[in-house]
Amino acid sequence: MEPRLLHPPKWPLKFLRFFLKTDYLEEIEGDMEEIFRENAERFSVRKANRLYTWEMIKLLRPNLVRNLELLQTMNELPMFSNYFKVSIRGLMKNPLNSFINIFGLSAAIGICVFAYAFTRWTYSTDQFHEHKQEVYLVTFFANRDGAAQQFGRTPRPLGEMLRNDLAHIKKVCRVEDRNVVMKYEDNVFHERVRYTDPEFLEMFTFPLKWGTSKSLADVNSIILSEDMSVKYFGEANPVGLDIQVVFGKGRSKSFKISGVAKEFPKARTISFDFLINLENLRTSEPGYDMHDWNAFVDATFIEIDQPSDLKDIEQGMDKYKKLQNEAVQQDWALSSFGFEPLATLHERSEYIRDDISRSSSSNYKTIMFMVIIAIFILALACFNYINIAIATAAKRLKEIGVRKSIGATRRVVIVQFLTENIVVTCFALIFGLFLGYAFFIPGFEGLWHFSMGFTLNDPALWIYLPAVLLLTSLASGIYPAFYISRFQVVGILKGSVKFGQKNPLTRIFLGMQLALGCIFITIATTFTQNNSYMATRSWGYNQAETLYANVPDHDAYEELNALLSRDPDVISVSGSTHHLGKSHTTAVLHFPEREYEVDQLSVDANYFETMGLHLTQGRVFNPHEGSDKQAVIVNELLVKNLAWESAIGQHFSIDSVQYEVVGVVKDFHSYSFAKPLRPTIFRVTDRNEYRYLSLRVRPGTEIKTLKEVQAKWIQLFPEIPFEGGLQEDTWTGYFESMRIFDIVWLVFSFIAVSLASLGLYGLITLNVAGRVKEFSVRKVLGAGTRDIALNITRQYLVLLTVALLIGAPAGYLITKSLFDFAFPYHIPVNLFSASGAVVILVLILLLTVYSQIRRISKSNPVNGLKVE
Amino acid sequence: MKKTKLGEFEELVLLTVATLQGDAYGVEIKRELESRLKERLSVGSIQSALKRMEDKGFLTSQFGEPTQKRGGKRKRIYATTSHGRRVLEEMRDIRASLWKAMPNLAQSLNVV
Repeated sequence: MEPRLLHPPKWPLKFLRFFLKTDYLEEIEGDMEEIFRENAERFSVRKANRLYTWEMIKLLRPNLVRNLELLQTMNELPMFSNYFKVSIRGLMKNPLNSFINIFGLSAAIGICVFAYAFTRWTYSTDQFHEHKQEVYLVTFFANRDGAAQQFGRTPRPLGEMLRNDLAHIKKVCRVEDRNVVMKYEDNVFHERVRYTDPEFLEMFTFPLKWGTSKSLADVNSIILSEDMSVKYFGEANPVGLDIQVVFGKGRSKSFKISGVAKEFPKARTISFDFLINLENLRTSEPGYDMHDWNAFVDATFIEIDQPSDLKDIEQGMDKYKKLQNEAVQQDWALSSFGFEPLATLHERSEYIRDDISRSSSSNYKTIMFMVIIAIFILALACFNYINIAIATAAKRLKEIGVRKSIGATRRVVIVQFLTENIVVTCFALIFGLFLGYAFFIPGFEGLWHFSMGFTLNDPALWIYLPAVLLLTSLASGIYPAFYISRFQVVGILKGSVKFGQKNPLTRIFLGMQLALGCIFITIATTFTQNNSYMATRSWGYNQAETLYANVPDHDAYEELNALLSRDPDVISVSGSTHHLGKSHTTAVLHFPEREYEVDQLSVDANYFETMGLHLTQGRVFNPHEGSDKQAVIVNELLVKNLAWESAIGQHFSIDSVQYEVVGVVKDFHSYSFAKPLRPTIFRVTDRNEYRYLSLRVRPGTEIKTLKEVQAKWIQLFPEIPFEGGLQEDTWTGYFESMRIFDIVWLVFSFIAVSLASLGLYGLITLNVAGRVKEFSVRKVLGAGTRDIALNITRQYLVLLTVALLIGAPAGYLITKSLFDFAFPYHIPVNLFSASGAVVILVLILLLTVYSQIRRISKSNPVNGLKVE
Repeated sequence: MKKTKLGEFEELVLLTVATLQGDAYGVEIKRELESRLKERLSVGSIQSALKRMEDKGFLTSQFGEPTQKRGGKRKRIYATTSHGRRVLEEMRDIRASLWKAMPNLAQSLNVV
């Protein structure tokens, strides 16, 4: 290449011309160009360009750059450095005030950082998929109880038909999850396997660490997640090894491991432990019919080229709707199909029943709460700052007067105060980031046992933080800056201006702080009370002396039952298809005039006695095999909702079979208290459908019996790991999460209250310090400690009373709506719940005032009078 | 010594200028130093050293001829001043005397 034709890149040159001293320009430009040509000959032009740009950047040296000279000639720089110096001195001079300001602001900023991390985590859920805009979940709408609902499942044949019929659809993958037992040498565990089409790994972005994703097309291949690979094989590469999958009794298959996925991103709802080809369903479930419109797969995803094609596809769906509705019972008729883009699936999953990506949909609500709390606490910290700034302004009047008289305009004074404020906020930002990063985020993650994957090298964070900095400095600094800069020089220097002691706004801010503190304490104490209330709430059945175990089939049930019924500690044994707290199904009841959806549990006659369900009317099922096939037992809620005057003898049909109500049981919580009660029916189960064995034992023998059951299980079924336990332990997770809510609110209210009380303390201290002379005069004239105490207290007591009169009812209302919103069942919230908050705040005020009174009563009035 | 403060890198650059005589301009100095030090140097570091020493009076400079290679821009040829040479000699003498003193020092330390 002819070197003469080459020219160095333009923009670094422009940059150079802008920054470099003009005297040096010709020489250095020439040098750079010469080196560039040389490099271009030696290396590639691209590398020469890169080196050229890099060299340009390295030319930014103080003695070569001209703009620094320019800066030095401006007097803004020394001015700002003076502001900086003054603010640092101010911080050092009043360590208490600085501490209150910086501590408060950093706690608030820490919470803001935490809220940011949580929001980012939630909104990034499932966003890592490359094709998230083109992949859709197939859903359908159907009428249940008169309301249209969206369902995340799909009729089984639909996926295959969509793939074959519609040209717009590029890829289709169906997903079906099953529980299996996984065996590799001595490692035997219950696992969940995802059956899917080979396209799964193309539509979803899950890169593999080892192996190839194409291998999923082979029915004998299995792909593991990284976690599972570590669980079974440690750090070694398992690709090529065989692993045994036990689908059910007598049905198992050996798979060759053909891939291991890389670690999944933290924020995800759709992933997998084990992936195998969907075709394997034919092996694992001989009865599985892919063409049955009556049955569903867990999910069907489609991928299309253009989002605009979706309209065409939607119009083409009527054909399938007809097919589906012809095949199924009338109650399951669907009204239309719909498509949910993967990009927004997680956000919408709350509203889609049986949706594959459902997980922590309440996170979006939590974000709202967190933003409100962050704003509240930030407001508390800003109020502190404003109050202290105004109260201390009196001490700085002379400084402002001097500045103004040597030519500072009001604007300059405002800029000075805002600068000081930004300095304080900067410190707070550093501490706050540290607090958030080192305490709030790991603390929260530790409580919930998950990771939000928060890092400091997130570019959006570095936009967010300066935004918080700016907002906080403006919110806290604007008012004091304008207020202080308002005063006239003459007035200040003559000493006729006095302010900072009786500013009405200061009182309003303090009052708001106390009211906010009151609200936070109310919420936190109610949470604590609620937890102990929930722990003693009745479940509607007896949890204490019951045990359960999953059984693979009826034979296993009989074998275990035979062993257990000989045990003297066992009072009663029962078999069931569903189990309280574990599983249920839904059914639609048909009446001549309406349809009604209920939960359904299939159990045997012994179940009511075993689980301690209270029968209030009628009878339980007849224990003879084959009887009561058309009898149901309902719960009280169902009776109430259907407004039956007498439940016994009522008729309805399910799937065209007529049923009669023979008994009513008291309402019970099938799942945790977090779920509202549902109208429920019990039906007699078929022996061959037994999946659970439940036991009632003599009080005190629960643990012992559980150990025996486990020991017997190992004898009977060495191949299958034991699943089951105490009925009470089903809820450990629920109570644990309630405890965590409690801790989180306690932390919030602790921060809020310490901010409010620090603000109160700071303000009272300043107020008393400003009135030393007055108190000394009072003392000299004979005022006792009591008079002075009354004098100080009266001023704040009015304020506190007003704050509590607002805060207590507000706390009550907010707590009530929060609890009604978050929990279907909770402790009754009333005005008493706020009383704890009132007591705490009054105590804090009295303690603060007392500490100041002690100081005054011990001081010598002569010293007080000598002050200036 | 204090008046004639000369950094380590500056001293190297000054020596190079003295060695190169009439050929001493930015790129040549850089090339020469790079080959002797066996490491890459940035234009910025050389230029800032040159400018600093010019301010201190160790160097003078004048424009040379424009060349095609430099896109028609003139070189700036540097030369050492007599003050610069004196400082360099002073530095060399100080170093030499220190080197001379070293073996004796080491021996006496060993004896103790």
